[in-house]
Amino acid sequence: MRNSKILALLIFFIGFVILLVFVFTGKERSKRLESYKNIPFLDDDEDEPKSSTTVKKDE
Amino acid sequence: MAHSMAAKAEYNYDIIKKFAAMAMVWGVLGMFVGFYAASELAFPILNFDNQYITFGRLRPVHTTLVIFGFGGSALFATSYYIVQRTCQARLHGTGLANFTFWGWQISVAAGVITYMLGYTQAREYAEFEWPIDLLITVTWVIYLYVFVMTLRQRSQPHIYVANWFFIAFILATAILHVFNNLAVPVDMFGMKSYSLFSGVQDAMTQWWYGHNAVGFFLTAAFLGMMYYFVPKQAGRPVYSYRLSVIHFWALVFLYMWVGGHHLHWTALPDWTSTLAATFSIILLMPSWGGMINGIMTMSGAWDKLRTDPVMRFLIVSLSFYGMSTFEGPMMALKSVNALSHYTDWTIGHVHSGALGWVAMVSFGSFYHMVPKLYNTKMYSEKLIFTHFWLATIGIVLYITAMWTSGIGQGLILRAFDSYGNLAYTFVESVSYLHGPYITRAIGGFLFVTGAAIMAYNLYMTAKQGKREAAEAAAAAA
Amino acid sequence: MKHDKIEKNLGLLMLFTMVVISIGGLVEIVPLFHINDTIEKVEGVRPYTPLELRGRDIYQREGCYLCHSQMIRPFRDEALRYGHYSLAAESKYDHPFQWGSKRTGPDLARVGEKYSNEWQVQHLIAPRSVVPESIMPNYPWLMKNDLAFSDIADRLRALKKVGVPYSESKAEYEANVKEFGQDVAEMLDIQKAQENLIKQAQSGNYDGDANRITEMEAMVAYLQMLGTLVDFSQYDEGHFVQFR
Repeated sequence: MRNSKILALLIFFIGFVILLVFVFTGKERSKRLESYKNIPFLDDDEDEPKSSTTVKKDE
Repeated sequence: MAHSMAAKAEYNYDIIKKFAAMAMVWGVLGMFVGFYAASELAFPILNFDNQYITFGRLRPVHTTLVIFGFGGSALFATSYYIVQRTCQARLHGTGLANFTFWGWQISVAAGVITYMLGYTQAREYAEFEWPIDLLITVTWVIYLYVFVMTLRQRSQPHIYVANWFFIAFILATAILHVFNNLAVPVDMFGMKSYSLFSGVQDAMTQWWYGHNAVGFFLTAAFLGMMYYFVPKQAGRPVYSYRLSVIHFWALVFLYMWVGGHHLHWTALPDWTSTLAATFSIILLMPSWGGMINGIMTMSGAWDKLRTDPVMRFLIVSLSFYGMSTFEGPMMALKSVNALSHYTDWTIGHVHSGALGWVAMVSFGSFYHMVPKLYNTKMYSEKLIFTHFWLATIGIVLYITAMWTSGIGQGLILRAFDSYGNLAYTFVESVSYLHGPYITRAIGGFLFVTGAAIMAYNLYMTAKQGKREAAEAAAAAA
Repeated sequence: MKHDKIEKNLGLLMLFTMVVISIGGLVEIVPLFHINDTIEKVEGVRPYTPLELRGRDIYQREGCYLCHSQMIRPFRDEALRYGHYSLAAESKYDHPFQWGSKRTGPDLARVGEKYSNEWQVQHLIAPRSVVPESIMPNYPWLMKNDLAFSDIADRLRALKKVGVPYSESKAEYEANVKEFGQDVAEMLDIQKAQENLIKQAQSGNYDGDANRITEMEAMVAYLQMLGTLVDFSQYDEGHFVQFR
């Protein structure tokens, strides 16, 4: 019980680091995750530019 | 193209139109009540010795109308829009969705009428008495069901991040609402009840609720709105999807810890408020993660700011989000809180979040969404610009007035003369508030005027959309 | 940690979200019910009498808590202005708590017995007649409305259900005599609630009108007892620091 605070802190921190590592490592995974950002453009209306359906880097 | 037209015809836009319309009705009404209540503080004669409209009864009317009436209806509208369009599926259960509409609107209306009649649980932002709480609970469970069933019909395996925020918002609000409203009625046919908890435990439960009403209702859910409408309006996908994943988990974890910072220096045990202060500071990071993600999404489309008023609403909303999520942790420091607590600084902080972030991002999203619902263009772009300036100037007046009155009152009340006696009586601090209170009321008036202009603009847009549709149908026939 | 599973499986996403949002509240709220020194042991704190309770109900009805706090913080200016800082024990029978969050008006945690009944009545009817700079609304209807108290026993019963020691049985009454003494125990008897309310109103005559029991009566009775239960002169200075 006396160490519960530091233990909890460690658990949360490690959990967070695992999440960080998971999200930001792996080329394939990163690519896959980033591809999801196009979901809002999948059902584009005709009045919007079609080009926005592909990932645009800086112009 | 034929495909997208077919999909569009399948979406349930009717429910969204209804919620959007009610959001504007409650919004204008609620902001006006806020303006009136603010005027009562500047000129107490406006209470008119009328028990139904004293400040004490109007204040919950104002908060309920703007948070649950305007904010809630705006969230129903946009979440139903976003979940359909990111899943490319029709909203599940038309009848159930209509039930959420009526359940919610009746709750809000019944709430404000009963407050004016004097029925209240006397818990801030949870003033609804128990029968209304029950109706809200039922409505909310059905909302969750409709939302989840729609997500299950999505066209691709991944769930877009905006929907994560909505899910967290719905679940968290359910937990908060149920636990904070536990009460025993005096009798089964009356409105009055007494809360299950008392004293310290009750205070902690209430502010665990109170702060997470801000965290999940007014932040997480509106981030969901941001993650759809900012990319759509900018015509660019979100800056970093991975950042959105990280800051989602960090935000939903951290928010639940910080409610205790509303109870610094009270009879709440020190360990609880220290913990709350610590987590409040850490919370700055995921908050700014969201802000940075939103602002970076717009970078590269800065030129649009000059021509596109909707973009202006969105960028200003994100700026205020960043500002108030910095101010919040600062006020959660015990030393700052000793001065700021019990003063108008808190009121100013809430409004820089509520007007600057919540209302502005909703305005921007509505200006994007409503023309799409009616398959037309906004009735007047010029009126959007007018609204933008009224809203922005209104907010700036409001929060600077509240900084002045809040910090000023804090300093006055803790001032000592050279003999170590109190330098001022309490009522001297009240006289000091008069000027800032007038300024604040003017700021609020500008803001509600802008919202009224917006309501008119949206109404004309809907009318124009219907006329165009009728003409198209006539031409086709 | 298979994040792709979570993000594709709606059930898992919801489950994880539930777990993550539950931790904070559990850690901060649950211990408050178990840790013994959350609430100090202190003499004098008792549940409200029926008349005071009706006053408290009206205090809530009018939204007084939106401009007045009932929580004095441990600072020198607040000690000089309001008195000893508030103890957790002093609000242990408060369902709901009324600590407030804003002081547009002064703190009321220890306002009891600071002003006369006549001053309180006049101030509630027309605040600016006694404090010209005040921005408080007038509450003239408190004096006009007769106090409704036919359901007072039901109110006490509801509070008994949430843990306030109002007594219904002989055994409960005896327990109250032990805990609070004869006079207070008498006041906490649910069977005598109505009788007690009338008796206190007549002997106190808080509203200055001996012929009627008005809402003002209950309101002033409530205000006049706030913060008066604990006799701080009994305790050493600094005694309560151990509980913070």
